[in-house]
Amino acid sequence: MQPFDLLASLPAIAAAVGLTITSIVVLALDMFLKESQRRNIAFVTAAGMFLTAGMMLAFWMPTAATEGLYWGGMVRFDMLATMFCVIALLGGGITALITIDVDKLGRSGEYYLIITVSTLGACLVSSASDLIMVFLGLETMTIPLYVLAAFRRDDKKSAESGMKYFLFGSFASAILLYGLSLIYGFTGSTNLYTIAEYMGSDAFTVNLVPVLVAITLIVVGFGFKISAAPFHFWTPDVYEGAPTPVTAFLSVVSKAASFALLVRFALTAFPPALAINGAEVQLFWTNLAAVLAVVSMIVGNLIALAQKNIKRMLAYSSIAQAGYTLIGVAALAADGREQAVAGISYYMLMYMFTNLLAFGVVILYSNATGKDDIRDFAGLSRRSPWMAIAMTIALLSLAGVPPGAGFLGKFFLFQAAVLSNLTWLALFGILMSLVALYYYLIVIKYMYVDKGEDEEQAIPVSGTYRWTLAVVTIVVILLGSFAVQPIFNWAMEGAQTLFASL
Amino acid sequence: MDLGQFLSDANNLAWLIPVGPLLAFLVITLITNKATLVSADEGGHYADHNHPAYPGLKVPVVADWSRVASIVVGMSGVIAAWLISIAVVTNAAGVADFGKYVLESSVRWMDTGAGGFSMGVLVDPATVAMLIMVPLACTLIFIYSIGYMAHDPRQARFFSLIALFSGAMLTLVVADNLLLLFVGWEIMGLCSFMLIGFWFEKPSAYKAAVKAFTTTRVADVIMLLGIAYLYAVTGTLSFREIVYNVEVLEGLAELPAIIIPGLSAAGLIGICLIIGTIGKSAQFPLHVWLPDAMEGPTPVSAMIHAAAMVSAGIFALLRMFPLFEAGGHPHDGVYTPPLLLMAIAGSLTAIFAATIALAQNDVKKVLAYSTISQLGFMVAALGIGAFVAAFFHLLTHAFFKALLFMASGSVIHGMEHGEHHVHHHAHDDEDEHDHAHETPLLAAESHGHDAHDTASHDAHGHDAHGHGEHTAHAPHFDPQDMMNMGGLRKTMPVTFITFLIGGLSLAGFPLVTAGFWSKDEILLDAWYGVTNGYGPHALVFVLLAISAFLTAFYTMRQIGLTFMGEARTEEAKHANLGRGVVAFTMTLPLVVLAFFAIFAGFVGVHPDFPIFGSIFSPNGNPFFDFITTSLAVKPEKVGFYWVPVLTSFAVGLGGIGLGYLMYWRKPLVAGQEDPLVKILGTTLHTTLKNKYYFDELYTIIFILPAQWFSKNVAYEFLDKGVIDGTLHFTGRLFTWIGDFIKVMNAWLIDGFGDGLSEMIGRAGIWFRRMQSGSVQQYLLIVALAAIVIVIVFALSTGVLQAAP
Repeated sequence: MQPFDLLASLPAIAAAVGLTITSIVVLALDMFLKESQRRNIAFVTAAGMFLTAGMMLAFWMPTAATEGLYWGGMVRFDMLATMFCVIALLGGGITALITIDVDKLGRSGEYYLIITVSTLGACLVSSASDLIMVFLGLETMTIPLYVLAAFRRDDKKSAESGMKYFLFGSFASAILLYGLSLIYGFTGSTNLYTIAEYMGSDAFTVNLVPVLVAITLIVVGFGFKISAAPFHFWTPDVYEGAPTPVTAFLSVVSKAASFALLVRFALTAFPPALAINGAEVQLFWTNLAAVLAVVSMIVGNLIALAQKNIKRMLAYSSIAQAGYTLIGVAALAADGREQAVAGISYYMLMYMFTNLLAFGVVILYSNATGKDDIRDFAGLSRRSPWMAIAMTIALLSLAGVPPGAGFLGKFFLFQAAVLSNLTWLALFGILMSLVALYYYLIVIKYMYVDKGEDEEQAIPVSGTYRWTLAVVTIVVILLGSFAVQPIFNWAMEGAQTLFASL
Repeated sequence: MDLGQFLSDANNLAWLIPVGPLLAFLVITLITNKATLVSADEGGHYADHNHPAYPGLKVPVVADWSRVASIVVGMSGVIAAWLISIAVVTNAAGVADFGKYVLESSVRWMDTGAGGFSMGVLVDPATVAMLIMVPLACTLIFIYSIGYMAHDPRQARFFSLIALFSGAMLTLVVADNLLLLFVGWEIMGLCSFMLIGFWFEKPSAYKAAVKAFTTTRVADVIMLLGIAYLYAVTGTLSFREIVYNVEVLEGLAELPAIIIPGLSAAGLIGICLIIGTIGKSAQFPLHVWLPDAMEGPTPVSAMIHAAAMVSAGIFALLRMFPLFEAGGHPHDGVYTPPLLLMAIAGSLTAIFAATIALAQNDVKKVLAYSTISQLGFMVAALGIGAFVAAFFHLLTHAFFKALLFMASGSVIHGMEHGEHHVHHHAHDDEDEHDHAHETPLLAAESHGHDAHDTASHDAHGHDAHGHGEHTAHAPHFDPQDMMNMGGLRKTMPVTFITFLIGGLSLAGFPLVTAGFWSKDEILLDAWYGVTNGYGPHALVFVLLAISAFLTAFYTMRQIGLTFMGEARTEEAKHANLGRGVVAFTMTLPLVVLAFFAIFAGFVGVHPDFPIFGSIFSPNGNPFFDFITTSLAVKPEKVGFYWVPVLTSFAVGLGGIGLGYLMYWRKPLVAGQEDPLVKILGTTLHTTLKNKYYFDELYTIIFILPAQWFSKNVAYEFLDKGVIDGTLHFTGRLFTWIGDFIKVMNAWLIDGFGDGLSEMIGRAGIWFRRMQSGSVQQYLLIVALAAIVIVIVFALSTGVLQAAP
């Protein structure tokens, strides 16, 4: 093992360091600021996160020389980790900004503190390369979310959703932990790379079936985090019950980080070349991912059709989106694997912006009106045309219609599937996108065609929201147009270095 | 590609020449062409005397800022083109052995089955000669238009169109292949259509526009056939690859043509291309559109007759000349069919149009026929192989004809001015009017507004030069009729002097005018053939000499009627351009062009010409030496002969003298009949005046049968009978099929389609039931799912392991 070099090791946990500092500052501000000034904590939080992300991109980009395991093999410093850290940081920052005027959340320092800690967990998850770190990161990310879901203690729905989330989460954690411990039991190591090495060697004599049981348990655990069907049941209830900014946060940040972990875990612990008793292990989990993808797309899209509440609709939509992303995971088995990793990264990036945009509009709307049914959006285009346009762009992007970023996101994933000889899966994804179009367009139809109750009354939009949503809208359009090439190339580069190290 | 690097290469510079005007066209059309609809009866904004009246109509009137903007943008575009042209010409002058080596640049435009097709620009001596003339003439025409169109409600539209027009012309000039040339050619066709019909509310104007468009279209289609055939045979349309390549030319000359026996491919292609020019340059028998094209604003006439359209036709002939010549050698009396076609059509056109011009009273129509006649000179010269002389005449003619047109425009403008003056007197007190006249600077503009108030508008009805149906109304004053003029030299001195210079140049006044030298050159080439006993040369010589005589005569007649003697009408007495910006922009171009109308001739003086030869061409004819390097095979030089020179003297001076005697010494007074009527006899004069009844003839031969055909055969029989019948039957058939399908649809497709979506919706509702809200149930399902997966895996591995 190399001697410990603090300076060289720091970039690997740059996000964690930045977030720790931010959380301390937030904690201090919460104590010293008066109630009326506490809303400024949102800016501090967002600034801390954006600054960290900016610094990472500007100074601590991994290179071929600096790439590798750090901190005793606990974290890995590479492009994939950086990319998902940035996604988490940006997602956290935007969430902080769109919370600012929400009743009870916007002015409480602990809310921002918890968001920051959860983001910290997400960053650790993105770069974890050790079973211990995996579990620690996941719990650091998830436990704050249980608290957040139940943040409105006096609201029955919020409390119920927090409780459900906690029960479900602990159940899933237990299953995941069981899977991880099985792996440790087989191999006697907690480092993912060492595990892979050991399993590939002749010393490894365990039968295939127990390994598959471990894989199953781990995938089930991840399935909970990414809200893939049939492990999705918590999603609609939690999404609906939790305060909307929290829903927004957990729909993007925890999902993105979990996908990063899934990809890394799957590829490092069970690398493509690994075969046990003549059976390629990889095929099992990619097939499993394919099945989960299909089930998620069916369940998410079909149930979304029947929803009346916009948050529940977005919850099922997020299950369906997890399904699309799982197509990328399924494509990791064959020639399209680089494309698949890049596709997943790109999809999560664009999904983060798009979903936060949609939730941002929902937050604004329900803040002003106290309603969050789809029907309530009737006539929004005449009430607040800009909000309606932002929502339309977000929904079109989710549906995968140009110029939203979602079109290219789906395109890359489906392309990866085709490259990996999973054409049927890509076709199924396209079919399901067609179904999805219906429930997204219904919202647009309500906004533009139907008549609302008080149409002449514009929704009040404060400056923070206006700027945040405007910038996010532009980013969504840019990601679907001019910015695709550089971003996707970046993702592709990350994917290539990931495979180069395998 | 790096732009700076791209432009620093002299080869690429020519790309930019057409860009300025084309950009100006876009900018004016899209941005600065802002107009508001104003009722034509409210005189206010709309006080233009060039423009017809539109009682009861709404006319778009451009906003003041857009007038200024369109002028600024248009001028910038054309001046940019001019400056770049100068730069290109300078660069070309720096190329050693220019002609053999040229400036060229091309890009792969389209991949075709037969290799790639390149589009590009080419600057060879011929292009350089055109680049000296065209951008300069365009710029002057633009300047002139500022004044001429100053009060037109659609001024911005005018500027956008002439910008496109000049852009197209410049594209044509720098094109390195026939297709790009044809593109410019067609854009000009479109522009001429829109500009001739610029005052489209006037029936005569739109009819003229349609006539010009359809006539040239007939020719263009045939030309396109020629281009297509050329491409089919050679696989390229590049000038350098075809006409600068002796092997290709010989191959074409030896290859028998399709369809027509006894003709070589070169001959057939040549004839097709020449027909294109016959349409574009208004040669007999497709000349009929050009005199009517005078319906457009005068700057357009100058554009069409001098700088652009008709020159384009001749330029295309010059470009492809080696192809026409291929297989023959006119210098040795061997003619090819295209050469004969040009010689005959050209010389006939020359004399035929010159005779018509004799009897015209419309100042612009005289010039129109004169143009046709002079173009005939050039085509005829090409027909006898006098490439250099034709090119020379093209350039000098462009200068003095542009001058004449613009000067005649000034005359018309002045006459209209006078007309308003007279009307003003009739309707209003004099003080106000004088006041308008004394206002300095913008007097001319304000004059237009003041003089032309609502009262005079209503009283006058159709005040502009209306033709056709408009003339049917009340007594009408025609500001273009020379019989209404006379004595204008006193009120419009600058116009008079410049017109005189242009006229003398056209007439071929010996030694000092450009026209003399270029015409002399043509006659010299023709005489050379006569001395060797070549028939076509003799025909050309005789007909052109007579035409030159007639030209000199009718030019003097025109000047005499317009400027000499005393004013024959009240309007002519008050004709002037006023003072200020309008007058300045309308006279400056005249002065510049007058310079060229005199001095442009000295570049091509025959070296053996007594005295002048030794002054201007001590080292051989400079124009000849320069321009012939753009040909692969240089034409032989023709020696010096006294007969053609003396002929030039005789016909030039004779015509001028006769005209002087008849129209200058004893100028016509008001009401007097043209003395020419007595000399020619009424019948002949009327025939000439009616242009040999060509329009009537074409009406009987083409238009009436076409109308009959379209009404009786196409409309009644084909359209109503056959097509409508079929359509109605088909309609009924499909209605029936549609009904059938509808029934099918109702239970089959809808059943399936609606059923599917309903099924999906129901599935959603069914799935939703699983979402009961009970955590215990959820966890149970998850656990079951996990177990199912494990079992499936276990089974599949069992299968997998059992398999091998």
